[in-house]
Amino acid sequence: MNEQRKDILDMLAEGKITAEEAERLIAALERAQPPAAASPAARPKGKAKYLRVVMEFLEDGESGRLNVRVPLQLLRAGVQLAALIPPQALQRANAELSKSGVPFDLTQLKPEHLEALVEHLDEAVVELEQSDGHLRVFCE
Amino acid sequence: MPQLLTVRVKRPGRRPIRVWVPVLPMVLVLSPVVVLVVVGAAVACLVFSVSVVRALGTGWRIVSALPGTRVDVEYSRTAVLVAIR
Repeated sequence: MNEQRKDILDMLAEGKITAEEAERLIAALERAQPPAAASPAARPKGKAKYLRVVMEFLEDGESGRLNVRVPLQLLRAGVQLAALIPPQALQRANAELSKSGVPFDLTQLKPEHLEALVEHLDEAVVELEQSDGHLRVFCE
Repeated sequence: MPQLLTVRVKRPGRRPIRVWVPVLPMVLVLSPVVVLVVVGAAVACLVFSVSVVRALGTGWRIVSALPGTRVDVEYSRTAVLVAIR
């Protein structure tokens, strides 16, 4: 419920306005609101099915657009690959990461952790704006 | 399991190319190659001490999850679309 609608209902509850006035105000409020945009916030509540990456950019005076839609199920299946990485490869990767100043232990990264991350992706929205383009990552 | 792969390429001054690839018939046609790839993957799993069953199961899950994937790139007057249904 948005703030203005809540205010109207509060005024009705306090007896400051009548039910008819409240109805008229809410109707006016709905008319004043812009139509729902195709944005992550406008998405109906429910389980997200896709991760979408939308990027618009300007390069050498030419405009470009990247629109990628990936099923979240594919990400969930992909994280299972983490369990298939041989321990030797993980140790080598750990050594390289340490050498680069990133002391991250990949052996501690379990598929369950990645699955939990994917599960909560539908609430995440990443927006990046620059003068020559913008990037938006969200679930739908 | 993916049913149809769609590829569309638009280039300035040329006719757009649209290709629809039915996945199942294509897999059947390429089945000897698919068998070789699966056997190669199984051997690689054994060499690197990875469970063959788990690896094949994960591979199948990834292939099964592909429908719905869509990549659409436009730059200037050139556009490429790849969609899996």
